[in-house]
Amino acid sequence: MNEQRESSPQRTRGQRPARFSRLPTINLTDLWLCLLIVAVCVALYVVTRDFEQVADMFAQDVPPEFFPRLLLWTIGVLALLLPFEHIHLRRRDEDIDEHRSVSIKPISFVTAALLALVVASMPWLGTWVTMTLVCVLLPLLWGERRWIVLVPYAIVFPGLVVLLFSGVLKVYLEPGSLW
Amino acid sequence: MEPLLTGLLLLADPFNILLIFIGVLVGVTVGALPGLSSPMAVALLLPFTISLEPVPAIAMLAALYCAGTFGGSITAILINAPGAPPAVATAFDGYPMAKRGEAGRALGLAAVCSVLGGIFSLIVFLLATPLLAQVALQFRPPEYFALTVFALSMLASISGRSSLRNLIAGAFGVLLGTVGIHLTTGVERFTFGTYELTEGINFIPVLIGLFAIGELLNQSQTLSVAYERITSVVIRLPSWEDFKRVRATILRSSGIGTFIGILPAEGATVAAIMGYNEAKRWSKNKEEFGKGAIEGIAGPEAANNAATGGAMVPTLALGIPGSGTTAIILAALIMHGFRPGPYLMRETPEFIYAIFGAMLIANFMFLGIGLAGAKLFSRITLIPRTLLWPSVFVFSMIGAYSFSSSVFDVWVMLVAGFVGFLMARHGFGAAPLVMGLILGKLVEESLSQSMIMFDNNWLRFFESPIVVGFFAITVLSLGWPLLGPLIRRLRARAV
Repeated sequence: MNEQRESSPQRTRGQRPARFSRLPTINLTDLWLCLLIVAVCVALYVVTRDFEQVADMFAQDVPPEFFPRLLLWTIGVLALLLPFEHIHLRRRDEDIDEHRSVSIKPISFVTAALLALVVASMPWLGTWVTMTLVCVLLPLLWGERRWIVLVPYAIVFPGLVVLLFSGVLKVYLEPGSLW
Repeated sequence: MEPLLTGLLLLADPFNILLIFIGVLVGVTVGALPGLSSPMAVALLLPFTISLEPVPAIAMLAALYCAGTFGGSITAILINAPGAPPAVATAFDGYPMAKRGEAGRALGLAAVCSVLGGIFSLIVFLLATPLLAQVALQFRPPEYFALTVFALSMLASISGRSSLRNLIAGAFGVLLGTVGIHLTTGVERFTFGTYELTEGINFIPVLIGLFAIGELLNQSQTLSVAYERITSVVIRLPSWEDFKRVRATILRSSGIGTFIGILPAEGATVAAIMGYNEAKRWSKNKEEFGKGAIEGIAGPEAANNAATGGAMVPTLALGIPGSGTTAIILAALIMHGFRPGPYLMRETPEFIYAIFGAMLIANFMFLGIGLAGAKLFSRITLIPRTLLWPSVFVFSMIGAYSFSSSVFDVWVMLVAGFVGFLMARHGFGAAPLVMGLILGKLVEESLSQSMIMFDNNWLRFFESPIVVGFFAITVLSLGWPLLGPLIRRLRARAV
């Protein structure tokens, strides 16, 4: 501690180190996050107003909206602290923006879209075909071009999974409305 | 004594031993694979256990939990990529040892210290669970409410860097738990007219989504990452000299790990880091740390595995999960029709002892598997990610579906995965959300019952000294991140 003080002679009591003095009071990303969370809380709070009303005696003084509202208030209040939290974290040498400063790569969005598409097609294609589709499309999307590996994998792996779940564990698998 | 013997006899069936072995094998494999974690593996294995009897099902999951914690150290030592978060501290000294040609010594030490830490915590588990359950039997709804609030406050430090974000995630998890029909009045809440939501959100698809799909999307961003590999590994058990040098560290770290594990919501990662720090603080060779000190492996390895046994104590005795993975084991218990908590100990003590036995067997199994197969497990990182993660998705999809043969659950899993990915990006932990979701019903139930007992008078909560005690430590644990630095500054000024 003393060594630190000696190494920065210009710093007097009450002054913040340079890295703190440049720090904005509000973290913009967290401000947006805070607004989003508060908006969700408000929207859900409005939903709680539409909960069916029951007599006080029946609800035993604890109506159905009581607990969700308590939680929404808690989340809302905690969310209001988010834009300022980076100051506290910086004091511990932690940077909340470290991971999110790099934007999400397009491959992640495409992957998410592919997964959603695959799940959407499950009722039509059935579980087995959907799994095979995943085992072909996802590796291809992620750059796998070794067909000698990909083809056996896409055939054998879903087959084994179906055998395990349907044959051994007796789970009913969606056959698909197309077939 | 009789329930203990009955519990152990329940495991004597070769099929149960085989399942424990499978759990250990899957655990070490998953633990060794960077990106795949114990909570994810336990969540993915849950659907497989639906058709099993409760004892082998939970025994397999508990074995996976123990082995997964150890598995992470293999890749931490050999390729400097901790397979699981609890092995992060092991890499600090394990990898430097491997680089100077002592990978086998480091792996042997990690395996032995893990087993010793695990056994230590299991002894505590064996002694503490019945005692804690006995105490918890005196708890009424207000005490339970205070306890769950304390557990939720401990979420603040469960994972990630931000206590605030963990609390928000935990509260959001509790809010998700309110979806469905309100137990007291039968009123539908947040169902938005969707029939599938009337019975609430299934936590299995949420768990799978948060842990598996969130990580899959995360992995899609790092497809080009390659690891530097240590190839020549001849594993050997620690010499007597090594053991003498680290025995105090093992004992200390085992104690720390068990204690941290018992605290609600604290897990193996926190235990390992504390174990490492304490090993360094007490070491005569502090300058060796970070360059390949054997205490730097013994400390975190004994602590992180001790945390697994410790974490099972509140999970089984109180129904409050001791870590993210035990939260999923708790979900598995509920899925198999058990009510975790003091009544579990009173009504089916042999079941708890069977879990103890399974974890004990798992510790010895992973010692053997770890020593014999470390070289093989280091090679599993060679599995191309382009095939590994599609396989994880297939298991996730079918796992979420098989719980109630519903495509709606697969959508829940997917949405949870997308949300989990975005949450992780903004520093919100998945584990607090899961724990909130699982504890949500208990919190609301105990609060409602308390309010009915107290005629809606909040002040009557403070009539119970146990409640006051829990509230006091809740305030302390929440306020510590702000109070701690303030006290340190005041002390420094006084000096």
